[in-house]
Amino acid sequence: MKSHTYRLLSLALALQLAMQALAQQPENILAAAGSPPNPKVSVSWNRYHDNTALEEIYRKMAAAHPDLVSLSSIGQSVEGNDLWLLTITDRTRGAADRKPAAYIDGGIHANEVQTVEFALYIGWYVVEMHAAGNPFFKQLLAEKTFYIVPSISPDSRDRFIHGPNTQHSSRTGQRPVDNDRDGLVDEDDFDDLDGDGHITQMRRKSPYGQYVADPKDPRRLVRVEQGQQGEYELLGYEGLDNDGDGSINEDGAGGYDPNRDWGWNWQPNHIQGGAYKYPFSLPENRAVADFILAHPNIAAGQSFHNYGGMILRGPGAQEDEPNFTREDVIVYDALGKKGEELIPGYRYIVTYKDLYSVYGGQFDWMHGARGIFAMSNELWTANYYFSRQQGSGFGGDPNEQYDFDRYLLFGDGFVDWNPYTHPQYGEIEIGGFKKSYGRMHPGFLLESDAHRNASFVIYHAYHTPSLEVAEIEVTDVGGGLKQVTAVIKNGRIIPTHSAHDIANRIEVPDVVSLSGGQVVVGMVVENRDLGITKEQRSDPANIRVSNVPGNGTATVRWLVKGGTKFTVTVVSKKGGTASRSS
Amino acid sequence: MKRILLLSVVWLGSQGLHAQTDYTDRHRLARRANALANTYPQYASVRSLAKTAGGSDTWLITIGTGEADGKPAIAVVGGIAGKHLLGVELALGFAEQLLAGSATDSIRRLLEEQTFYVFPNMSPDATEQYFSALQYERNGNARDTDDDRDGLSGEDGYDDLDGDGKITSMRIADPTGTYLANPEEPLSLILADAAKGQQGGYILHTEGLDNDKDGQFNEDGEGGVHFDRNATYGYRHFLPGAGEHAASEAENRALFDFLYDAFNVYAVVSFGPYNNLSTPEQGSKGGQPAARGQKIDSWSAQDAKAGAYVSEVYNAIMGVKDAPKTTAGPGNFAEWAYYHYGRFSFSTPGWWVPRVEPDSASRAGGRGKATGDAQADPVADYLRFARSEGITGTFTAWKPVDHPDFPGKRVEVGGVHPFVLTNPPYRFVDGLVRKHADFVVRLAGMAPRTDIVDVRTEKLDGGLTRVSLKVFNTGLLPSLTQVGERSYFLKRIAVHVKTTGKQSVVSGRRSQTLQAIPGRGTVELSWVVQGNGPLTIEAGSVSTGTKTVEVSL
Repeated sequence: MKSHTYRLLSLALALQLAMQALAQQPENILAAAGSPPNPKVSVSWNRYHDNTALEEIYRKMAAAHPDLVSLSSIGQSVEGNDLWLLTITDRTRGAADRKPAAYIDGGIHANEVQTVEFALYIGWYVVEMHAAGNPFFKQLLAEKTFYIVPSISPDSRDRFIHGPNTQHSSRTGQRPVDNDRDGLVDEDDFDDLDGDGHITQMRRKSPYGQYVADPKDPRRLVRVEQGQQGEYELLGYEGLDNDGDGSINEDGAGGYDPNRDWGWNWQPNHIQGGAYKYPFSLPENRAVADFILAHPNIAAGQSFHNYGGMILRGPGAQEDEPNFTREDVIVYDALGKKGEELIPGYRYIVTYKDLYSVYGGQFDWMHGARGIFAMSNELWTANYYFSRQQGSGFGGDPNEQYDFDRYLLFGDGFVDWNPYTHPQYGEIEIGGFKKSYGRMHPGFLLESDAHRNASFVIYHAYHTPSLEVAEIEVTDVGGGLKQVTAVIKNGRIIPTHSAHDIANRIEVPDVVSLSGGQVVVGMVVENRDLGITKEQRSDPANIRVSNVPGNGTATVRWLVKGGTKFTVTVVSKKGGTASRSS
Repeated sequence: MKRILLLSVVWLGSQGLHAQTDYTDRHRLARRANALANTYPQYASVRSLAKTAGGSDTWLITIGTGEADGKPAIAVVGGIAGKHLLGVELALGFAEQLLAGSATDSIRRLLEEQTFYVFPNMSPDATEQYFSALQYERNGNARDTDDDRDGLSGEDGYDDLDGDGKITSMRIADPTGTYLANPEEPLSLILADAAKGQQGGYILHTEGLDNDKDGQFNEDGEGGVHFDRNATYGYRHFLPGAGEHAASEAENRALFDFLYDAFNVYAVVSFGPYNNLSTPEQGSKGGQPAARGQKIDSWSAQDAKAGAYVSEVYNAIMGVKDAPKTTAGPGNFAEWAYYHYGRFSFSTPGWWVPRVEPDSASRAGGRGKATGDAQADPVADYLRFARSEGITGTFTAWKPVDHPDFPGKRVEVGGVHPFVLTNPPYRFVDGLVRKHADFVVRLAGMAPRTDIVDVRTEKLDGGLTRVSLKVFNTGLLPSLTQVGERSYFLKRIAVHVKTTGKQSVVSGRRSQTLQAIPGRGTVELSWVVQGNGPLTIEAGSVSTGTKTVEVSL
């Protein structure tokens, strides 16, 4: 029955698509600047997708762009859902894992729903622009790789979309935890008392109440002044005392924070609330960490969150400050300040100083353990309600949220107050903002902000190292010896090794090799003008260079017997490879 | 005390079965562990928790009757450091001795009340190096690691230059060397002390070649990840042996996963390098527990008080007090067990080189004391001990070799053999097992236990009854450590009032959980109940047991 219905639906859908296709041939379209006019894969960027819908988009992208997109699973979630990876690069111009790469994910906090669409938008946009012939993207995908895992907590994503939730619930994964420590797990979750799929607020008329309806918008409750009599009391989120322990909603599904589970500066839950058992004790994160460890070409990282309009960098905890030295901060600043320009209303800030302390966060691990320049954008800001700066808080002026709902969303963000008979509270009313409004983008602003954030991540990816052998100088120094000096240039902002990487020898050095003669002595040139060098005694044909700085150079030199034509090759884990002959 | 004597007698009776003369390799470990499950099927079960990178099993022996996971438990862990072979013997020997004691009433009762999870060897890849053709002290598992982080792995390991199958030391006569022969024990080398006008004459390395010609010796051999550097507390990145991140190894993860789910464990006993039994942990300064959310790096006053008594018992059983001071290294297991796992954690190497006074009467004081004319030298201590015990064959005299990295210099290979500084001659093992098994049984006697005492009912007007009682921790250990109070991976003592018929609780909570109850401490609770007939009150947690009382209203 189900499959029959499905087939009928598919048929209807196909017919509809065919009709649209007839009316919207390429010749009927004027391209809006900066958008792919006739994408091979159509996606409506004004709504949210569950796991099934996402997988369909991934498969379509891989099928429509076989040279650009490959789809694979990097592992499974607690409940066995695949963690899908889109590897995006122009494979006709080199293998994905030999190019400098950006790693991007979303949905680690599954209630932060749009993070998945934002991550996916980047992949969709770069391939469709490439397919549309845009020269920037032709070049970008020839040189770089995007590894995008749009949704890294898929169990809770489907729970959020299909189950009743607040704006904040389903942040956890789905492994049970005994949050109230009474020996039972997940026994007292929210209850969708009015059955509308949203966990909203409970209020009760009461002679002891402290709240009254706001005359400007009676849906809103405001606290009365001290000494005044209110009409309502607020009773918290929709729910029951399911286990009869005198508390409501105190032990819901899961109960941990996947972004306190990463192997850098990790602390247990009694110090860092939300931590699970040990770093990568959650299978989703373990799969991501194993993937990143196996791909040393990743030089840039972005993990999307909501909300507050922030471009975050580490450190997450103050004691990690020594691992963010001046050289590295210069790189972050160059990226973050550009981000503030590209995404007006977002602030570039340091997590522990300007937000709160986090032990065991994801981008701290990328920076600390892997030497990746990694950032995290907190999507959506109340500044967007009426394009007004809202100060530094999360939610902004609550009036604006009600007004925006009333005048721009036509009330679609709110569940009106309705009476309900509660077993513990008696006669109450249930209502409030829907789970989809407050932290997530309203539909019409989704594509616009996804694009601005994508432009920032593309900028970040573009500025992963780009190496060339810029110069080979050969001079005869007598005694049958030639001196070969080679300059390796990095044309982008990000170095092949962060200062933190160099200090801890995280990634192996870049190797500059000479072929075409018999190397007698090899050295790193510390100052070419003053002739200051440092010899490498073992394996002198392959000089190990600790770093090629951002927008900088590294110089090496050999004294060689024989040979006339020399080839210099540089191989760098994060910087790719380059070669040149004299 | 009576219990200990009984246990010892039984043990002496059974030890003839083994007639083992050397430490236990992985095959013998498997046999001995599985023999316990076969011999005592009603008390013991054995399973492999995980396979290491080297394909070794990490065994778990569960000892106790009935529903093992539902009773208060002690975890006993050996093989914490691969070079510490004795730890394996102590853990496994404890299991054997405990089960041999099951013929006695006291041990049988203990096995009905409590569970023992014994993990005899958490470093099975590393301990195997003792039994290999080339013997050297190893703590890492078989994971391929790049210890010097140069992009190559295992390119500069040890080399057996004198072909004796053991990696010892090599000394190079060199006027720039920083070592000289210890005037007290000339076979041993000590660092020259410029403050005393001493001049060195030797360079000292472990035995080997500079295989990769980088100027360093033996800096990137088999490597591997150390079990005792891979835990989360005090974890240090980029340290050789630490792994890519904490809990990166299958055996560490398997143990942590098991223990985190074993809510019934109240104490962990480690047989490993760290010693907080000979000298107990000091309580935090001022005795104040750390504020919520703050890192905890010392024992609370309440926990330290309990630990001090545990140490007293340990020292009385051991009968020696000269244990050298130890510091727990980054990512070590024993500290993890308290600071992150939240259980009482007691650790001991089980044996150390006993103090033997130097032959020269002029030397006053002992190890650990600055005597002005001698510095701490564990090799010298060992040599004296070996002489006093008639131990031979554990030191190779310095013999010249040809060494390609030191052309024209006199290079000699020799020195104390691997393993002997941390592991006693095997003939000592039985006695040490007996003492440590007795200690663990004594510790089990201090377990926190929930009891309900002083139950009173008072009739009030209108069919109301006030019910009051005390929840009593009959054990000497607190019901939870300071960490246990905070971590959601430990269960509080929960108290439930179970009404029947038309009863209702009109005052007091039907269900509640309690903060830690100190050893021998009580918490008073009361309720007012309307109605009559039987009423049941239950208090307990899986790590302290559960007590139920019924009152009639």
